[in-house]
Amino acid sequence: MNKNILLSGMGGQGLVLMTDIICEAALKAGYEVKSNDVVGLSQRGGMVWGNVRIGDKIHSPNIREGHGDYLLAMEPLEGLRWHHMLKDNGKIILNEKHINPVLVQQEVEDYPSEAIEALKEDYEILSINAAKEAVKIGNEKIANVILIGLLAKALASDELKIDEELWRESIKDFVPEKAVELNFKAFELGFKN
Amino acid sequence: MKNKMMTGNEAIARGFYEAGGVLAASYPGSPTVGILSAINKYDEIYSEFSTNEKVALEVAIGASFNGARAMVAMKHVGLNISLDPLMAFTEIPTQGPFLLVTGDDPGLSSSQNEQDNRNLGKFANMAIVDPSNSQEALDFTKEALEISSDFNIPMMLRITSRLCHSRSIVTLNDRVEHDVPGMEKKPEKYCMIPSNAKSQQLYMKKRLERVETYAYDTSLNKYEASDDKSVLIITSGLLYENLKELDLDISIWKLGLIYPISKKRALEITAHYDEVIVIEEMTPFIENELKLMGITCEGKEYFSLTGELSIEAIEKGLEAAGVINQIDQKKVISEPTVPRHPVFCTGCPHRSTFDIVKKSKADLVIGDIGCYSLAALPPFEQSNSIISMGASVGVTKGLIKSRKNNDKPIVSVIGDGTFFHSGIPSFINLLHQSDGEENVTFLILDNRTTAMTGGQHNGSSGRFNSKNDLKVSIKELLETIGFEDVQEINQYDYKKAKEKINKAIGEKGISIFVLNGPCALKYKLNKPYYYVDPTICIGCRNCIHTGCPPLEMKKYHNIEKLKSSIDRDMCVGCSVCAQVCPVNAIKLSTELEVEDE
Repeated sequence: MNKNILLSGMGGQGLVLMTDIICEAALKAGYEVKSNDVVGLSQRGGMVWGNVRIGDKIHSPNIREGHGDYLLAMEPLEGLRWHHMLKDNGKIILNEKHINPVLVQQEVEDYPSEAIEALKEDYEILSINAAKEAVKIGNEKIANVILIGLLAKALASDELKIDEELWRESIKDFVPEKAVELNFKAFELGFKN
Repeated sequence: MKNKMMTGNEAIARGFYEAGGVLAASYPGSPTVGILSAINKYDEIYSEFSTNEKVALEVAIGASFNGARAMVAMKHVGLNISLDPLMAFTEIPTQGPFLLVTGDDPGLSSSQNEQDNRNLGKFANMAIVDPSNSQEALDFTKEALEISSDFNIPMMLRITSRLCHSRSIVTLNDRVEHDVPGMEKKPEKYCMIPSNAKSQQLYMKKRLERVETYAYDTSLNKYEASDDKSVLIITSGLLYENLKELDLDISIWKLGLIYPISKKRALEITAHYDEVIVIEEMTPFIENELKLMGITCEGKEYFSLTGELSIEAIEKGLEAAGVINQIDQKKVISEPTVPRHPVFCTGCPHRSTFDIVKKSKADLVIGDIGCYSLAALPPFEQSNSIISMGASVGVTKGLIKSRKNNDKPIVSVIGDGTFFHSGIPSFINLLHQSDGEENVTFLILDNRTTAMTGGQHNGSSGRFNSKNDLKVSIKELLETIGFEDVQEINQYDYKKAKEKINKAIGEKGISIFVLNGPCALKYKLNKPYYYVDPTICIGCRNCIHTGCPPLEMKKYHNIEKLKSSIDRDMCVGCSVCAQVCPVNAIKLSTELEVEDE
C-alpha cells in the first residue's frame, strides 16, 4: 500500500518546504518515507519537481512513470508537464495561478491553456487559486501550504492514515515561529475546502 | 537513538559529526552545498566555505596533518582545480582520518559536464565508498573515516546529485571524540620533494592492496544470493534501490566500497553465475575493474553512458539483456509542452546589465559560471562561451592576442564569487604584454554573494553584511594590480550604466566595471511595486524584453492593442522596466508607498 506523491512547480514556490512537511507528517504517522527534490538552477524561476513516497517498505525515492497517486502542481503548466507520471486514476491538486515561462512572456509560444483544460477529462482535479487565496489571508508565500491542506484532506479519505494533528505538528516543525499561525490558517483553508 | 528524515547531504554532515569530525571545508556547488550548511549547525566542528575547492582541500589537509578528523566536500568539477594538492597529499600516509566528498551529477542537473569522479579517486590512489540512501551516507561517512584511520589512506565518498537531495530515514547516534595529537615533525614524511616522494609510489600501491584485503569481507558490501544462478547483478549507490523496486528474484552483489574491489571475493562470487551484469551510471568503472580481474561481464551494452539510470531505464536494460521478459510497463504518453527556462529572479540586478549588453555594439560576450550564466538563455542569449569557474578572463585574453586585424569590442563577464574563486590570477596575467590596442570591457557583477548556490559568503560579502568577515574591495584590488580604468556603477541606475558601458565598448583599452547590485533574493529586495498605465504604453515591449517575470503583454478592456502589464504581487520594485520605458508608462505605485508608511 504505497502512495506516490509528485510535486511540481517553479523555483521559489516552496516545493522543498512542501516536501519537508509531507515527509515529516508521514514519518510521525509511522510510515516509511523517501523523497526527492531538485534544487540548483531551479531556484531561478526554472521548473522544479520532486516527489514523496510513503508506505510500509520503500526502496527508491524515485516514482516510476505512470505510478503516481497524487500530483501537487503549484502552477498549471507544471501540472501538465508531469501528468504522465500519474496512474490512470491519479488525482491532480492544482494551484490555478499562471506564471508565464519566458517563451510565453516573449510571445514566442502560447500558454497551453487548452491542453491544461483537457486534463479534466482524464483526471480528478482539485483546483484552487491558492495564490489569490493566500494573498487574501496573508501573502502569496503560503500558497504551498494551502495545497498541503488539500492533499491532507484527499489522503484522509484514502488508505493512508495521517492525523490532521500530525500535519499541524510538522508544519510547526518547518515554518518560522512567527509564521506558524498564518500557515495553520493556510492549511485549514485547503483542508476545509 | 532517534530517527529523523535527512537528505543525503545532511546525513553526511551528521556522520562526520558522530565520527568526531574536527574540521570541514567546502566551496558551494550543487549538489553538495547542503553538506557544509548542515555541518555549520554543529558547534563541535570548525567549518568554512573556502575561497575555492583547492583552498578548501588544503585547509582540510592541514587539519589531517594535525591528526584531526577532516573532511572536504565539493561538486565533481571542484576536484579538477583541487587535483594539484590532492595528488601530492595522497602520497603521504594519512595522519588524521580524511574524507573527500565528491558530488557527481549524472544527468547534469546543474553542471557543465558529467565527469565520473570515481576515475579521479582511483587516479589519486584513494579508496572509494558509494552510499545508496541517507542511512548509508551517514554510516559510510563514519566507516570511511575508520578505514582512513586503519590504513592511513585518504578516502573518497562519491555521492550523486539525486541522493544528495533525496530524503530518507536515518538513526542518530552520539558523537565520539578523538584526540588531536598535533603535527609530527617528520619532513621526510610530509615534504613531497622528489627524494621523499619516490618511495611513496609503491607505498600507495601497497596501501591499496591492504585495503583490498579488508574489502574481502567488509560490511560495506552486501551479497544477496538467489537460488537462481543464471545471472548476478553487480551495482552500487542509489541504483541498488532503483533495482530493488523491480522486485526481481535475482542475485545482487551490492558494492559499498567500490574501489578497491577484492579480486578474491569477486572471483569467488562470480564463479557461481553464468552471466554477470554491472549496473552503474556514467563510465564503466566497476565493469572495467572486474574485466581487469579477468571476469567476463557486461554493462554498458545495456545501460547508457550518460544520464541517470531510472527504475525504467534499469528495467529496459535488463529486458535487452534477456534477464527479464517482456516489460509490463504502463504505456506512458508524455507530450512535449512549453519549456520553462530558468531566468534572472524578479528584481535581479544583472537584468539591466544584460539588457545594456544586448543593445550594445559588443561583438563577443564571454561568460563565466554563476547566475549570469542564465544570460546564455532567452530572452538575452548573450554569452558566446561558458566553460569553467574563472575561465572568462584568460579566454578573453587569448581571443584578443590571437586576433589579426580585428578590433571589434569584446565584453567579458564574471561575478564576484567567481572573481574570488579563480579570476584574480587571470586578471594579474591580463596586464602582461598588454599594449593598449585591445578593446575589451570587463563587467564584474558584484551582487555581494555566491548567489547561484543559495547565497553563501565570498571575499567581498563583509562589505555589505556585518555577519561576514571578508571585506575585499574588488575595485581597490584591481587598482593595486595595476589597472587604471576601474569604475564602480550601481546596476539599478540603468541610464548611467548604459552610458558608461557603451562609452567603454566604443574605445580601445581595458576597461573594468564593478557593477554593484545586491542579490534581490538573498538581500530580499522588496520595494513598492510598479504598474503600467495602458493609456500611455505604446506596446514597444522594451520592458518585456528584459524578461522580468511579473511583466506580460495583456489585453486591457476597451484598448485594442496588447499593452504591457505588471503582476503587483510579484513585482519587488527594482525600477528597471520603468527605466527602459521610452514613454514613462511605467509608474511607481503611490498607493503602496502609503501602506508602507
